[in-house]
Formats: sequence, structure tokens, C-alpha cells
Amino acid sequence: MEKKRILIVDDEKSFTSILRINLESVGNYDVTVENDSNKAFSTALHLKPDLILLDVMMPQKEGPDVAMEIRNNKVLQETPIVFLTATVTTEEVKSQGGWIGGHPFIAKPSRLDVLLNSIEANFKADE
Amino acid sequence: MVDDNDVDLRMLEAMLTENEAGPCFFRCATSLADAMESLTEQDFDVVVLDLNLPDSQGEQTLIELNKKFPLITIVVNTGAYEDEVGVISLRLGAQDFLNKGKYNSYTLNKSLLYAIERKRLELELKMAYDNLKDLQSQLVQAEKMRVVGVLASGIAHEVKNPLATILYGITYLSEKFDKNKEDIRIVFESMLEAINRANNIITDLLNFSGLTRLNKKMEDLKDVLEKAISLVRHELDKHHIKLIKIFDSNIPKIEIDSARIEQVMVNLLINAIFAMPDGGEVVVTSQIFILSTEDLKKMPELNQNIFYLGQTIIMIHVDDKGCGIPDNEIDKIFEPFFTTRRSRGGVGLGLAVSKNIMDIHGGQIFISNKKEGGVRATLVFSVNSNKGDEYGKKTNSYC
Repeated sequence: MEKKRILIVDDEKSFTSILRINLESVGNYDVTVENDSNKAFSTALHLKPDLILLDVMMPQKEGPDVAMEIRNNKVLQETPIVFLTATVTTEEVKSQGGWIGGHPFIAKPSRLDVLLNSIEANFKADE
Repeated sequence: MVDDNDVDLRMLEAMLTENEAGPCFFRCATSLADAMESLTEQDFDVVVLDLNLPDSQGEQTLIELNKKFPLITIVVNTGAYEDEVGVISLRLGAQDFLNKGKYNSYTLNKSLLYAIERKRLELELKMAYDNLKDLQSQLVQAEKMRVVGVLASGIAHEVKNPLATILYGITYLSEKFDKNKEDIRIVFESMLEAINRANNIITDLLNFSGLTRLNKKMEDLKDVLEKAISLVRHELDKHHIKLIKIFDSNIPKIEIDSARIEQVMVNLLINAIFAMPDGGEVVVTSQIFILSTEDLKKMPELNQNIFYLGQTIIMIHVDDKGCGIPDNEIDKIFEPFFTTRRSRGGVGLGLAVSKNIMDIHGGQIFISNKKEGGVRATLVFSVNSNKGDEYGKKTNSYC
């Protein structure tokens, strides 16, 4: 069975390194990491992932802005996005206009199995 | 008119009646006690007061009268050559002073009218000032909370990220080690527990700063209580504590964020347990009733800005038989970072967060020492309306 491709967009290198290792070791995934959120959109366009794990608060382009770019692109607009957030508050995200309410959130830190369940639940249904 | 000299009283009366614009009703009192009794029975617009009475002399008369009746207008009626006394009286709360023998009907009435008006203005000014002070302290409080909020969300982000990294690191490594070895298992479990604790404290801080969103649904308080009890079961057993439940079966579902309320209940139970570390009894009671005047009298701590006569309320009590809370600490217990358990890792946010949670549910929490010893912690919910807006911010804080 072909491995599902996951793109992680998060500026924290130690977090993304460990998460990549975990996901590849326990799940049947091919994981790509992008730490520079300015490059996230072009990386996604190149990779065409099956799911994107997107951090909310990043020093360069913020998660919601990246998500908007992805949604606005014909090729990527159906890609499921799961937000990762270290702040439980949704205030910062709501201020982006509220359309992001459609995307699921996972708090940081969450247990790995919780994250895995969310990932599995959000892959697009196989056609 | 207060004076022990009958002649002076008659003169006053005559002068007041002479003037058409004068008062239409007067009462005479010949001692301070007599005056105070009259004032208790009836409202008067102005008191004409001689300071030298059989049961009180000089300044003390004015001081006492003003203290007991701060809202009434007082005009001091001094004896001849006592202008100094008059001036002092103004500072002590009189609106004017009259020098016996140096006024006539006209000036007397004028003085009384002016005195009444001045007193009215003084009271208005005082009220405006008090309101301003209140507002100022509310603003300061709101600003403090705002700063806490900013700090909290910054800290949350900076700490939760590394915690997530460590958590996933441990998860990964724990698969690579032989978990059958007791020591290895203990090491990993301890690390996971530590991460959990750190994460909880950060969440508490976020909750306390009022930044997280409420998730209210119709819930059964009994279920929430049972869940809270089950969460502390381990601690109850460890400290040999017996838990007695007295639940009223008539309590309907109410709209609450069950995770938050559960958190409050766990907090109260843990406090009760730690009050009796060598064993004891905790009694958890739930009741529903309509507030009567007797109830309001029995429970002065009940906030009557939220709860009123005739309202249906639910109360949950957690009683322990520990040593109680010392008088000098009981006002501080809801303050953030106040704890008596710092040596055991307590941070002191539990009650502060619990109070915040009850506030945003439109309820109340209060804690008092019981007469028979130990502490009673009480949660109060109203059955119909749960005030507090969706975002979990206190409704009177900044927006």
C-alpha cells in the first residue's frame, strides 16, 4: 500500500524532527518537514501531500495565512489541514476572519495516539 | 432641635415658626440619647445641635452624632463667645454653626436651608468620588488581568512547544527500550507524569487568565461529581479518607462546561484530602432549593448581586474535618499563587482558577470554617440563567 504523504509546517526544528521520526516509525507515512513558513506553500505545491500538519503561531508567515494560500490554490484546495496549537485560545486564529473554523485543531502537547487518530480521521476518503 | 436648656429651645421654636418659609415640623430633644432615639424613629431634614448636653460635652457630641447618622444635616448651635467651637464643628461634619443670641429668625432659617443644600451636595460629591474610586480599581484590576493574559499566552506557547517535543521524544524512546524492566518502565512513566503536570499548570494559568473558550452543554452535576471523585479515588485511598455522598436526586441538568466544573470539584476534593493527610472523612452534599429570607440570613457569604430571594439554586458542599483555615489567611485563599502546599509542589492556582470558572458560569464559590471544626467549601449554581459570555471572559473585564 502506498504510504500517505504528510507535510509538517512548524518553525520549531526539534519538534518537527521528533514528530517526523515518530510518525514514520509508528504509522505508514512519508513525512516531509518545512520549518520556513514562507516556503510552506511552494513546498506543498511541489509535494502535493495527503495531509498538512500546520502550526498556528510561527515567526514568519503565520499558520492561518499559509492555510489561506493553500485553500486559494486549485491544486491544493482539497488538502486536509490539521492545525497544531500551543495556545489553547483560538482568539489569534479567529481574528483571521473566522473561516479557519472549518479546520480541526490539535493542542500541543497531545499524546501521540490522539494526534494519530486525528490524522487518520482527516485524510480524504479514498475515491 | 437638641438642647438641654428649655429657654433656648422655646426661642428656636419661636424663631422658626415666625418665618413663613421655615420648617413645618420640629421635635425637641434634651440629651444626645434622646436625639439619637428621635433620629432612629424618624427622618429629619436638619438637626440644630447644642454641643453641651447632659450626657455629652463639646466636640464629642458632634462626633458621635455624625458617626451614627452620617447622612443627616447638622447645624451646631453654640453658646456665646464660642466661635472657635463653631469653626471646629465645621471640620467635624456640621454644615454651619450658629452663635446663640447672634441670629434672628431670618438668618436662622437661611442657615438651615443652606445647610440642607450643602449637605445634599456633599453627599452627591462623596458618591461620585466613591464611584470613581471603584471604577479606578476595576480598571486597574482589568489591566492586571490583561497583562496576565499576555504573559500567560506567551508562556503557554513557549513552554508547550518544548513539552510537545519532549513528549514525542519519550514516546519514541520508550518503544526502543525493554519495558519489562521495572526501572525502565518507572523512568518513562515518571517522565510522562512530569510532562502532564507541567502541561496542566500551563493550562491552569491560561484558564486563570480567562483566555480559553467555554464549552457549555446541558450536563448532570451528579455525573460530573462522580467523575471528579473517581479522579481522586487514588488519593482518597492513599490517605485513608472515607468519602460520604449525600446527593439530592431532584437536581436537573444545567448548562455548564463539564470539564471545567469537574476541575473545580477535583480542586475542592484535593484541598479536603490534603487537610487530613493522615485520614478522615470528606462529605460531599448536593442540594436544590428555593432561596428564602432565612437562607439569605444563614449564608451571608452568598452574593446577593447574583442570587436573589425566590430563586432556585443548586449547592454543592465539600466538607472536611481538618484543622480549618487560620483567620489571617482566609481572605487570601482565592488569590493566585497563594498556597500552603508549596513544599509539596502546590502552585496555588487551584482556587483562583476555580473562582474564575464559577464566575464565568454565573455562579459562586465560597469557603468557610465550620463551627464544629474543618472547612466547608460551597459551590452555588443558579438553575435558570447562567450568566457569563461564551469566551469565558469575566463580563466586567475589558473587551
